[in-house]
Amino acid sequence: MQTLKHIAIIAHNTFRESIRDKILYNIVFLAIALTLFSIVLGEWSVFDRAYVIKSTTLSVMSLSGLLISIFVGISLVQKEIQRRTVLTLLSKPISRVTFIVGKYFGLLAVVAVHLTLLTVIYYVMLFLTNAEPTASLLLAIYLIFCEMAVVIAVALLFSSFSSTVLSALFTLGVYFAGHLSNQLLEQVRFASRMGEMGDASTALFEKAAVVIHAVFPGLYRYNVTSYVVHGLALPDLYLFWNTVYAVGYVGLFLAIASWWFSRRDFL
Amino acid sequence: MGDLMIQIEHLHKTYRSGFLMKPKPALKDVSFSVEPGQVYGFIGPNGAGKSTTIKVLTGLLNFDSGKVLVNGISPRDVKSRRFIGYSPEQPYFYDYLTGRELLRFYGTLVGLDGAELDKRIAWALDLLHANKDWIDRRLRSYSKGMMQRVGIAQAILGKPKLLILDEPMSGLDPMGRRDVREAIQQLNRDGVTIFYSSHLLSDVESISHKVAMIVDGKIVREGTVDEITESCGVEYHVRTRKAILESDLPQGVSLTGHPEEFVCEDDSARDRLLAFCLANGIAVEKMDHKRPSLEDILTEEIARADA
Repeated sequence: MQTLKHIAIIAHNTFRESIRDKILYNIVFLAIALTLFSIVLGEWSVFDRAYVIKSTTLSVMSLSGLLISIFVGISLVQKEIQRRTVLTLLSKPISRVTFIVGKYFGLLAVVAVHLTLLTVIYYVMLFLTNAEPTASLLLAIYLIFCEMAVVIAVALLFSSFSSTVLSALFTLGVYFAGHLSNQLLEQVRFASRMGEMGDASTALFEKAAVVIHAVFPGLYRYNVTSYVVHGLALPDLYLFWNTVYAVGYVGLFLAIASWWFSRRDFL
Repeated sequence: MGDLMIQIEHLHKTYRSGFLMKPKPALKDVSFSVEPGQVYGFIGPNGAGKSTTIKVLTGLLNFDSGKVLVNGISPRDVKSRRFIGYSPEQPYFYDYLTGRELLRFYGTLVGLDGAELDKRIAWALDLLHANKDWIDRRLRSYSKGMMQRVGIAQAILGKPKLLILDEPMSGLDPMGRRDVREAIQQLNRDGVTIFYSSHLLSDVESISHKVAMIVDGKIVREGTVDEITESCGVEYHVRTRKAILESDLPQGVSLTGHPEEFVCEDDSARDRLLAFCLANGIAVEKMDHKRPSLEDILTEEIARADA
């Protein structure tokens, strides 16, 4: 009970700190501007206007969430260490696991507020432009939130032991690997079936693709834009299983981050 | 031994830096203990290992080997920090908060809330003679002295059994130093054990029950101020009514720069000088004894370590 209270206190302070971050405001304003610009894109595009507005805005949500997770998330732990505020904080009866988990939930709350703000703007915009606002779009936004939950955990993991720049690069690497791993595996298997590669290289590439697919979180699962903007139904229990998948990865990454962080010396 | 507030035995800590993880020993076989109710001063030059020892005690640094217990609990165990209040050297805080918001934040982390927390904040500020006007200003506008007081205030909010202060008087003006010194003494009278490091040796001499001196990662002296200074012997200053040639001076006696004033390095040198004066009919006008200060001893120990 005491631990949960400590997590809530640290999360609240993290939230309070993050919403004062100028980088956050830049990202949020850019996201709002791009969301509004999607109306213009819809008018210019040769595609269906509603489709362009919906898919562009969902992409903006995903991208801005990613930028917040990386640029605000990584600096959160690094700032505590560099400004030495971590010394006073960790001398209180709170464990380093509590610190990491508190930071995580603080940033998750920032991303949740950001996505909520964009969702409100999104729906107002869809109503005003008669672009068929549907409840199914919320499913896509929820899955973007799940994806960001995993990305924040990745960012915290790397920032628990490496520098800001390296953490950002590693997190971006995991993000892209997570989005492309499925495609890579399919391509390699397709090439193998078509006999485009020699036996030895086929086996090697296939093994590498299988390892990448297994190790990196499958973030491609959280991109359901094409389903929802075309009004297609998601498979049964898709949300449930992918929520479980995200929770599993978040737990794993936070456990590793806490372990690393517990071994650190604070000078 | 179970009653000790701090128990450190054969503590070793090595930092590793650079690509090749080059080792640099910071603490070499450090042992000392602090009893409940003591004000314990920890002195030494910069880089001697004071802050390293303090950070080991507060669980901020891991250590290589040895035994470290705080109130009978290892600092690796988060429970040990329930008894501790700690203020780091040059404390840094979240500068977007006001002093009061910061104290509320740390107060909630030690289990305080509501009216009790407000009461404790008021008590801590009173104890440190902190000006109530600036406590509601943002920390980014604070001077070093204000920051130091807020640092100590957050450390004492939870009424800890053990208060660990790293250079609590650095950055303070003389009034601020007096306020902090008085606060330390008051807290000690209320039963709080105080372990603190300082460069201000006159303050250490005046308020510490015991002192440990650390040089180059090793404890070189430990005891009460009297024990430490007496262990270094007493120096005698003698003035005669007639000059003595330097070549005639007995062993262990030297001139101070004046032909009628001499320094005897110990009791036997003094006895030899007095016997010489008696034998030669030289009257002794004045004789003082002087114990070395902590500063003298520390300077001597640093020179010895450098040699």
